[in-house]
This record gives sequence, C-alpha cells and structure tokens, in this order.
Amino acid sequence: MVREGSSPGSSGPTSPVIWAVPAAVTAAGTVLAVALVSAPARTPVAWLGAVAFAAVALSCAVAHRRGRQLAELRATVATQRTALERQQAETVRLASELLPDVVGRLRKGEFPEDVLTSLEASDVYEPGLTPEFRAAHLAVLRSVVDAVVAEEDLRDSAQRAFVNIARRVQAIVHQQAQELRGMEDRHGKAPEVFGDLLRLDHGTALIGRLADSIAVLGGARPGRQWSKAVPLYSVLRGAMSRIIDYQRVELHSVSEVAVVGPAVEPLIHALAELLDNATRYSPPHTKVHLTAVDVNSGIAVEIEDGGVSMSEEARKRAERMLQQAQRGIDVNDLGETPRLGLAVVGRLSQAYDFQVSLRSSAYGGVRAVVVVPQHLITTTSAATGVAHGIGTSSGPRGALEPAARPTGSTAAPSAAAVPAPAVPAGPIASAATEVTANGLPQRRRKARATAPAATTPGAAAPETTTDQPETTPSTEPGLWLAAFQSGLSGENQNDNASSASASKGEQP
Amino acid sequence: MSDPGGDWEDASPERLYVITGGRSGALGPATLDLVTLIVARSGPKPGMQPEHAAIIRLCQAPLSVAEISAYLGLPVSVVTVLLDDLLAADLVLSRAPVARAQLPDLALIEAVIDGLQKL
Repeated sequence: MVREGSSPGSSGPTSPVIWAVPAAVTAAGTVLAVALVSAPARTPVAWLGAVAFAAVALSCAVAHRRGRQLAELRATVATQRTALERQQAETVRLASELLPDVVGRLRKGEFPEDVLTSLEASDVYEPGLTPEFRAAHLAVLRSVVDAVVAEEDLRDSAQRAFVNIARRVQAIVHQQAQELRGMEDRHGKAPEVFGDLLRLDHGTALIGRLADSIAVLGGARPGRQWSKAVPLYSVLRGAMSRIIDYQRVELHSVSEVAVVGPAVEPLIHALAELLDNATRYSPPHTKVHLTAVDVNSGIAVEIEDGGVSMSEEARKRAERMLQQAQRGIDVNDLGETPRLGLAVVGRLSQAYDFQVSLRSSAYGGVRAVVVVPQHLITTTSAATGVAHGIGTSSGPRGALEPAARPTGSTAAPSAAAVPAPAVPAGPIASAATEVTANGLPQRRRKARATAPAATTPGAAAPETTTDQPETTPSTEPGLWLAAFQSGLSGENQNDNASSASASKGEQP
Repeated sequence: MSDPGGDWEDASPERLYVITGGRSGALGPATLDLVTLIVARSGPKPGMQPEHAAIIRLCQAPLSVAEISAYLGLPVSVVTVLLDDLLAADLVLSRAPVARAQLPDLALIEAVIDGLQKL
C-alpha cells in the first residue's frame, strides 16, 4: 500500500481545491445567511453555519484522503498487474525458449558454466523484474542444466565403460589370434589339429568383430591400427574372415590397389558387417558375390546376395538407419533387439567418408555398394607384402622367388665346374660359401655331391678338363676317393691332397 | 585409448581359414608328403587366388612341399590344401620323391669304402 509511496500525480494538485469547494461554499452560505437574517437570529445562524462548515470541511477532508488512497491503490494494482504480466511472459519464455535452448546447447557440447554465465548476463532479462524472481528463474535453469549434465555424464561414462570393456576384449582377442597363428604354424603338419585350430581362429575372429562393433558404437575407433597400406584383396579377405559364413562369399576380380593404413580397419569392419548382413539374410545355399572395381571417385566394393529382395519400405528404413547413424547415434536408440550392423556401417562411413548405398540386386537380393574415396586409396607398391598374403600384392616376394630359383638351378652345373676347384678348402666349404652368396642354401648339397663324381669320370669331365687331359686320369681314383671321403666324414681329412690335386686338375 | 595392437604390424588382416576356404586338409587322402616334388605345368593365370599364383610361380622349377611352405610362410596343411586345388585343376604335377629303399644303404657304402682303403 504505502510501499510504492508515489502519490497519484494527476489528481494530486486538483483534489485539495475540489475538496475545499464544499467547505468554501458552506462558509460563503453561512456568511450570506448571517448577513441576510435578522439580528436576533444572526448568532444561532452563525453557530449553525460554523458547525455546518466544520462538518462539511471534515467530511471533505476525509473524502479527500480516502480518494487519494483509492487512487494510490489503483495505481498499485496497475503496476502489480503489469509486473505480473511481465513475470508470466518471462515464465512462458523460460519454458518455451530458454530451456530448450539451454538443453540444446548442452547437448551440442557447450560447457555448462558457459551456458549459465551467458544466461546470467543481465540483458537476457527485461528490466523491472524483482531480484527474487530472477534468482528463482536462474535456480530453475541451473537445476535443469545440472540434470542435463548429470544425464550426459552418465551416458558418457556408460559409453566409456562400453568402450573400455570392448578394448579389453579386443586385446584378448588380438593376443589369442596371435597365439593361434603361432599354433597354426607349429601344428601345420597335423591336419586334424590344424582343422581344429582353424575353427578356433574363426570363432575368435567373430568375437573380435563383436568387440569392434561395441567400440565403434561407443564412439571409438575400431580395433587395431595399421601403419602401412594393405592391398585391397587382403582387406576384402580380412572382412571375409570375420563373418560366420565366409565360405559362401565368392571373391571376384579385385582391382590392384591398396588401402591406406588408417582406413584399413574401418573398411574391413564395415565390409564385414555388410557381408554378415548379406550372408545372414540370404538362403544358406546361395553365394554372396564380392567384387571391387575402379570408379571415378575411388573404389567401389560391391556385395551382392541372392537372398530375399528388400522391399522398398525396408530399403528406405535401412537407408534411414544409415543416415541416422551418420548423424551420430545414441546407444540408447538401438532398441531391444539391436541391428548393430547398419548402425556400425553408418558410423564408420560417416567417420571415414565411405559412401554406402543399398539397392536391390539383379540377383534378386540386396546389393550393397561401398565407395572408398580416392584419398584412401594408394598403389599396391606402397603396401605390405608381408605375412601369408604373399601373392596379394602380386608380390615383391613372389617376383623375387622365381627370379632366384632359375639362377639356383642353372648355377648348379657351373658351380660344379668353376668354384669347386677355385676354393681348395674342400667341397663342403666351397658349397657353403657359394650357396650363401646365392641366397638359396637348399638343394645345393645334392648337386655338389654329384658334381665331383660327374666331372672326373663322367660326361661332364671333357668340357672342363680339355686343357690338361693327362693329369686328370692320373689323379682320378685318389681324387675321387678323397673327395668322397671328406664329403662323408668332415672336410679336412685329406685336405692337402684334395686341394692340391683339385687345383692341379682344374685350376687352369 | 591406447591401442594394444602395436606389435601386430607384421600380421595380415586375413586369417588362414579364408585362404583355405575352411579346409584343413584332414579329409582328403594324404597324397602329398613334405618331400613331394611339385612342378607347375604353366604360368599363373589372371584371376587366380594369389596363393595359387604364387605357388605356380615358385614351382616353375620342381620344389618340395616343405619348401613351398617355407617360402610362402604358410603352414604345411594350408599349402597341401592349395596344392590339392591346383592338382585337381591340373595346373601342377606332383612327383613322389625317390623312395628311400632304392638308395644304397649308407652302412654298405661305408663298408665298401673301408674295404677299398684297405686295399
């Protein structure tokens, strides 16, 4: 009431004048009556007039005061109403604009402190609102921000836990796969054990893919990283090796390129998920065709199955899921029976610029095409030619071996003719040094064992010993025996004799 | 997140069962020995599985199964399966090694040498 303390401005100066009018009129009437009435009546009239004047003046004063209070009250009500309307509008704005904005900003990853300080900046609020009201609003916002942050934290920690567990599983699977490979090498000669090891290996790879999927959905990278480029052929077979029905996948022509290291694991994983879908949703007796061809924008890997065709509606749903995953996926959105595959593919394709499309295939099934962009492709020469993927890079090693083999086999006669006498230390030593120079230590032993026997009595002798035909027959039995014996039991038993006779026989 | 696969670098993404198509060589008749000699009938053809092509390139000169296995870095069973494929497709020839019984006994040779030296 008195709080405002502001007197109504308009009626203020006029009201005392207005309220003074009746009193003045009464006073004037009294004076007039006193003047007009006869003398004896003048005194009572004067008294009456005075009383009337006092009464009128009193009531006027009271009425004036009341009127002023009324005006003040009206003014107060008016200001309070406007304040209330402002508060209402502010509350509506809080609910309809500020809160969604705050939540959106928090979801986008802004720090809660930043959001709060920007809200506390005074220009957000209209002036005229009480500090209590603003404080209350800020408290509401703060508690909402806290709730959202807590929720995000919870989800983050849940995802981190996912990823953490997935990483551990991956580590175990990696180690296991490594050990299995060692066992496969060790027991490679026993087909029964080897078959069991292959099955174990396969199962381990399936577990690894599952762990990779969880890691990807948790927002992390899949599995291991490759520092070197890997041939596309190996990548495709790597994808095949991670699905259950890999025997149904038919690998067709593959262009001779390699995939750069960082993109290898994501591509393998994405292709494995698509292959898994293809084999899972097609009849067990049908084949799934896997090809990779050059296209303008990179390499297109096609996966075609002969299964049930996708209806247009199902195709749209799948593509929608891919796009949804590309925008960023929430583990909570996966639902009760998650179809992880497409979500993983979408996530990976978004992160690594693969273009994935699903169409209906000419075989009647589904045709999935993954286009790997050009900047993830490199030449095979940059790729590793290591491990058992020997031919996959159309091999530096594969090219090296046949080049070495013919020289080895053609070197056998020449080795028998030339270096055996040139090195007088004995046949074994000569063979060993010559062999290491050639890089192929196998199979030379046999050639050397026959060589001295062949040079001396046989058909190979005439061409090498044409210079001194008479010395070779003379030393023939002793040389032969000595060479044979030293070959049998150590090298330097008859070292002098053999070296002397050999040098004598064939040095010129 | 530290990646545990640092020491994996020399591995290959493909596992052995993909190379053999899941076969371990346990079913078929064991015609191939470690020392069976393999020789290719022709050069590698395009479109071949790389391991097949590599074997054919290697076996332009006769080579034993054990050697092929060593060169390719693949276990013997895998090589056997691959060679079975190639044999079935008539792309390579296999030849059993010289039977051990046909070689003269070592002790006999030593005895002969001793006898000759005593002469």
